[in-house]
Amino acid sequence: MSGSPSAAPRTHAPVLEAASLVRDYGPVRAVDHVSFRLGAGEFLSVFGPNGAGKTSLLRLLAGGLRPTTGEVRVSGIPLTIGDRAARGRIGILSHLSFLYGRLTARENLLFHGRLHGLEDLDSRVPDRLRDVGLERYADSRVDTLSRGTVQRLAVARALLHDPEIVLLDEPYTGLDAYAGALLQELLSALKHGGRTVVMVTHNLGRGLELADRVAIQVRGRFVFEARRAELDAGGLERSYRRAVEEGA
Amino acid sequence: MSLTRIRWMAMVLGVLGVAGVLVLHWLVFFWVGTERTMGIVQRIFYVHVPSAWVTFLAFGITALCGAAYLWLRDERLDWAAQSAAEGGLVFGAIMLTSGPLWAAYAWGTPWTWEPRLTLTLLMWFVFLGYFLVRASAEDRLAGKRMAAVIGVLGALLIPLVHVSVLWFPSLHPQPVVLNIDEGPTLDSDMLITLMVGLLAFTLIFFSIVIFRYGLEHLRYQHALETRDQPRAA
Amino acid sequence: MTVYLRQVAAIVRKDLLLELRTRERLAAMGGLTVLVAILFHFAIDQGLVRMQQLAAGLLWMTILFGGMLGMGRTFEMEREHGAIQGLLASPIPLDGIYLAKVISNFVLVALIEVIALAAYWLFFGFDYGGDPLLLAGVLAVATLGVVAVTTLFSAISAQTTMGQTLLPILIFPLLVPVVIFGVTATGRIFASRPAQEVEGSLYLLAAFAVLSLAAGAILFRYVVEE
Repeated sequence: MSGSPSAAPRTHAPVLEAASLVRDYGPVRAVDHVSFRLGAGEFLSVFGPNGAGKTSLLRLLAGGLRPTTGEVRVSGIPLTIGDRAARGRIGILSHLSFLYGRLTARENLLFHGRLHGLEDLDSRVPDRLRDVGLERYADSRVDTLSRGTVQRLAVARALLHDPEIVLLDEPYTGLDAYAGALLQELLSALKHGGRTVVMVTHNLGRGLELADRVAIQVRGRFVFEARRAELDAGGLERSYRRAVEEGA
Repeated sequence: MSLTRIRWMAMVLGVLGVAGVLVLHWLVFFWVGTERTMGIVQRIFYVHVPSAWVTFLAFGITALCGAAYLWLRDERLDWAAQSAAEGGLVFGAIMLTSGPLWAAYAWGTPWTWEPRLTLTLLMWFVFLGYFLVRASAEDRLAGKRMAAVIGVLGALLIPLVHVSVLWFPSLHPQPVVLNIDEGPTLDSDMLITLMVGLLAFTLIFFSIVIFRYGLEHLRYQHALETRDQPRAA
Repeated sequence: MTVYLRQVAAIVRKDLLLELRTRERLAAMGGLTVLVAILFHFAIDQGLVRMQQLAAGLLWMTILFGGMLGMGRTFEMEREHGAIQGLLASPIPLDGIYLAKVISNFVLVALIEVIALAAYWLFFGFDYGGDPLLLAGVLAVATLGVVAVTTLFSAISAQTTMGQTLLPILIFPLLVPVVIFGVTATGRIFASRPAQEVEGSLYLLAAFAVLSLAAGAILFRYVVEE
């Protein structure tokens, strides 16, 4: 992956910080006092069953959902819902591609580049297509591409503006083993670029492969947190099962 | 405000309102004088005008509470807006049925494009849209916000709608000239009856709104209580 | 500001490119426009009324229904593959998204107005009066009001299970002023009346357009915000 995160104020504050985040939907509490601090290059995987509040957490981190209480800080600066500029420092990759099927790969990237106010699109777009191995498909309409190819293009879209923070929402959903492995390769490059990553998933294996830190979210709360080094796959699975059963 | 206080308040207002309506009907049927030109049907007036007043009141409350909800995101403001809108839908329906009944006799036609009549019909449809959006929203919370937006935009544009409907006859001379003037100024007995009507309807409206508000409050409490209990296996 | 305008332009450009490629909204709207004209031919007994007398009213009803048909899909098409989430997560201010959608819808509705004018002229030989510039001005201002309101409400209807079927109930009560003053103004232009007779309606149409555009730009964020 070429390009490093755009220059940001270098402070001692963590790149991404959740401070006692709470989010209620009416009487339903989707995210319950979640806190963590991530430095540059750290990769946090958040596991949890469906309805545990993982997607809400991710939206809070993306600044698309306003917290009921608590706040998200990006390099120490609180993220507010009206703060559109901060979004330039965040990239989102979801199981939905966020791409237009009727536009070509190139047109999609150009569009996203313009939304982010990028200047050097003439060189940046072909570069990024090459990075994800899609230069052959530059002028193919997205709806003619396979699911795995589309997801690789989605990676290029999410990283087009060189965000420091990358949020991944179940990125492996709907991919076959081969496409999953390709995506894995692309995502592992994120860490070497010094990016801070949060991935939410219910796929324990995929989540563990890249993570430095893991958390298990059940009914809104982080019920388990650990460093990757302290864990083996079996240990995580046992913790996960216990947490989910206790929570339910 | 606690649930018991809410219920108590709604109850008192309701009892007073019902008493007021009973008094109103006694006044309408046995006391107030018959209007000379329109005759006995003019008595519908004492139900029609108060229901129209309440509809406008409801529209205002819905818009104001909706705007405040968008600003502050306090659930209670949404309950108030929703409750007022429901009241508005009901009293709007009363107004829209009593109006044509009166008009059919007084003016010889059930519907005229009299500006206030037209306006209230359009307002009723705004309320209808308000509830359709709430009911069919894919996301409940988004439904509340979108309904609030409808209330606010409705209140912003309704004055313009009113102005246009007011000026419409002067833009297009009407083929049939109906005598829809105010008529003579109200006699004092008529004025008293009307005031009683306005008061009674307003009391009943607030009673209903507060009851409805209490119901939302109860639902919310119930949801809060069940959330903290472990789910059944 | 220039960044803002470039972002708005990017969405407008993308919308028009998509429309150019699929032509689905334009085909539906244009088709409806012409078909409605055909139906009016059979629906109106031209032995009793002259079509020209109804010209302004027919034109506006056609624009309103045709416009609603296409504009109702404004945000439904953004929901495919979650594209709207990509838009919302980008740095463009939310009112910029609304503004961009108003502009691309305006272009679309303006196109079907041209189609409608051509169709009515072709089928019924309508006389559009002697002041094409004034006519274009009135149409533009009135259309802006219609588009401003409908675009906001299409963002609402896209988030309901009822979808586009909800749209008429939401927009028609509020579009009454556009119909009243739009029909009055265009009717007088068709009858070649002096421009002063149109002025008042034009101002009110402009007031409606400005008010609903401002309200839409402010309220839009509450409709799409997560």
